[in-house]
Amino acid sequence: MRFVPRSETAPAWTAFCYGVALAVFFLLSALVVLSVGGSPGKAFAALFKGSLGTWNAVGGTLAKATPLILTGLSAAIAYRARIWSIGQEGQVVFGAVAGYGATLWFGLAGPFGIAVALLCGALGGAALGLVSGVLEARFRVNVIISTVLLNYCVGYLLLWLLQPGLWGEVGQTISYQQSAPVADSLFLPAIPGLSKVHLGGLVALVLTIAVGILIGRTRLGFEIRGFGLNPRAMVARGVNAGALILAVMAISGALSGLAGIGQVLGESHRLRPDALAGFGYTGIVVALIGRSSAVGTLIAALFFGALAAGGLTMKVMADIPSALVTAMQGIALISFLLAEIASLYQPVRPVRDGGAA
Amino acid sequence: MKTMKLLEVYRLSKRFGRTVANDELTFDVLKGELHCLFGENGAGKSTLSACLTGFHKPDSGAIMLNGREVVFATPAAALDAGIGICRQHFSLVERFTVLENIVLGTEREHLRFDLATARARVAALCERLGLTIDPDAPVAMLAVGERQWVEILKALYHEVRLLILDEPTAVLTPAESARLFAIIDRLRGDGLAVILISHKLTEVMATDRITVLRRGRAVATVRPAEVTPVQLTALMMGEEPPPVPARTLRHKGEVVLEVEGISVPGPRHDFRLEGAPLAVRSGEILGLAGVAGNGQREFLDALTGLARPTQGTVRLCGEDMTSASPARWMAAGAGSIPEDRYAEAMIGEFSIAENVALGWHRTARLSRGPFLSRARMADFARDAIERFGVKQAGPKTQARALSGGNAQRVVAAREIARARHLLVANQPARGLDIGAVAFLYGEILRAAEAGAAVVLASEEAEDLLAVADRIAVFFKGRIMGVVDARTASLAEIGAMMAGRAA
Repeated sequence: MRFVPRSETAPAWTAFCYGVALAVFFLLSALVVLSVGGSPGKAFAALFKGSLGTWNAVGGTLAKATPLILTGLSAAIAYRARIWSIGQEGQVVFGAVAGYGATLWFGLAGPFGIAVALLCGALGGAALGLVSGVLEARFRVNVIISTVLLNYCVGYLLLWLLQPGLWGEVGQTISYQQSAPVADSLFLPAIPGLSKVHLGGLVALVLTIAVGILIGRTRLGFEIRGFGLNPRAMVARGVNAGALILAVMAISGALSGLAGIGQVLGESHRLRPDALAGFGYTGIVVALIGRSSAVGTLIAALFFGALAAGGLTMKVMADIPSALVTAMQGIALISFLLAEIASLYQPVRPVRDGGAA
Repeated sequence: MKTMKLLEVYRLSKRFGRTVANDELTFDVLKGELHCLFGENGAGKSTLSACLTGFHKPDSGAIMLNGREVVFATPAAALDAGIGICRQHFSLVERFTVLENIVLGTEREHLRFDLATARARVAALCERLGLTIDPDAPVAMLAVGERQWVEILKALYHEVRLLILDEPTAVLTPAESARLFAIIDRLRGDGLAVILISHKLTEVMATDRITVLRRGRAVATVRPAEVTPVQLTALMMGEEPPPVPARTLRHKGEVVLEVEGISVPGPRHDFRLEGAPLAVRSGEILGLAGVAGNGQREFLDALTGLARPTQGTVRLCGEDMTSASPARWMAAGAGSIPEDRYAEAMIGEFSIAENVALGWHRTARLSRGPFLSRARMADFARDAIERFGVKQAGPKTQARALSGGNAQRVVAAREIARARHLLVANQPARGLDIGAVAFLYGEILRAAEAGAAVVLASEEAEDLLAVADRIAVFFKGRIMGVVDARTASLAEIGAMMAGRAA
């Protein structure tokens, strides 16, 4: 069996490829579970129970998916323009820092305070995105490099801010690497009926629709898609490449920044590095699996959210380390990326007489 | 005589979705033959050559080489079987040297390949063909004509028995074209068969046999002696050829475009306009003659906002546009049909509706607030498809599914609609069939009659003599002279194209 490139996509074949990828994902995950001495059956049962088994579990899945939806959309919109931003991780942290800073500086409280803090978080992420945008548009500094390096800068900025005397909370005998909590009135309210899901989940869903409309229906989205496919033609037809890069980096940064401040107000209720780590990088994976479309990103984020939520149950019920969830995420990425590539090819029967000389 | 047949194609069909690109196509090529495939854009020539070279797999039918059926799963398999192709768009790695490009693809057999042997073989090949080309020069440094030789050397290095040349002379000067055909003759003496895809009737009529393709079918195989060029064109189109449009007496209005003393940097030649300013009036067509790469592109880039002159001024309708952006040129009523439609004017993955919207997408015509109106885009596309005769397509058709001629019609529809004051076109007819060329020039003439100043660059001086009012001849980044198209002769322009002053 050989594979040759397809001249057009075939929905049935694409569905088949993703089906195989899902099967491969479970198969390889089962092998990983076996390798640590666990029972795959028990593990998957626990995974399912913890992610979708009860109404409460569904809430947990949505809660875990919320930041990933936002960082996923952040990556997706940049990748549609073929701007390879890896800066979501730093933008999450910077958004959290900016939003938390705003609660301190402005003494925010109540619903209005929540709105201002979320806005400042988004603006913080956007500002960091714009730094890389300006570097690329004005000085031709590769976006991949500037965003990766800024991730480190912002990570250390957070550690610096969390030392005692600045924002760091000083305990009785030791100081923790975390800030004091925000006011109770700034906690994001839970969505009625889904106690684990805070308001951020709803915001993420609304933004998924908004990003979908932005990419598919607006002038800006048209330019983003066109720029990703053929920047030369877009520039020749009057698109200002620099302005477009800035717009994309600002929107992308704002989405990640919102994920950051959302985690602070909705989950950890204070600045804590471990409560922010990983969402940015996982968001990239989510966007790649979701083919950089809004809906695809949402589905991929929910899948990863289910893995994260179910991972805890798996640990408790089947005594399997929840760290395996990270390995499963990696397996999912590879399987689905291969499925995407496979969907662009078609199988051909073995060649007879092909190299007749 | 069966043993003489090198290639036989029997009832070959290839469909893309609902489009039938090749429909039960049958023809054959003899050993040592120069065989022409002749047909309009979209008649199925490119699909056929893709099937013959393993890029596409036919849906049905058979390909026989030396009497044995072959099935190519990959381009490499076709190359191994002895079928090579030189494409219209070069497939060379610009940063590699000539030698590296030639051996590219042969390294599969061995873990490391022997560059010294390869160098000797390439040198021998060059000597046999009478070519002088530096094997260590990076391809990026070569002129377009020289790249064509590299493409051919690459195929011959693989020891092909059948070579497909897809519009090989589109980028060659007349002298280089003559040389190419001399080389082809020499190769045919060694038994190589050549399939030539060309729209140029003089080349077509100089081949051994011509297979005419129309709508995916091989409608006839004829010898040049049996037909006249007009009959051949009628066969190709299925009807009498349209009259070639010619310049009519036009009312020339105010000066629209004024260019004075500009200097534009270019990769091979900087363009510099010396002496008298160049002015183009409303309703006038200024032709730019010359082999591509002699400064036309730099000059035209200064009229679209893609390049900013380092000195001098450009004015449109009296307004200084010297450092205007493409967006400002477009807003000022200037349209542009660029040289390479797929790279510069279209987005292959976009639909026709999205492609006609390019550049219009921020205007009230297609958008409401921040949103694009899909309904208006579709209306605009339907209008363009109908008025410009884009065949077998609707607003949702992907641009990359269009043939060259149809793609150019989409681009022309979009840009002419914009060209209230100025229309710039760089080699718009390159690679198009006679029907599409006649239509395109007709539309350009109509734009001029409607009052636009037109700047039209073409390597076909005959076309310019028929269509333009004045012709500026380009050579090495300078204008050798501007002649009146009504009185100038082809010989005069040809001499100036080669660098001799008028």
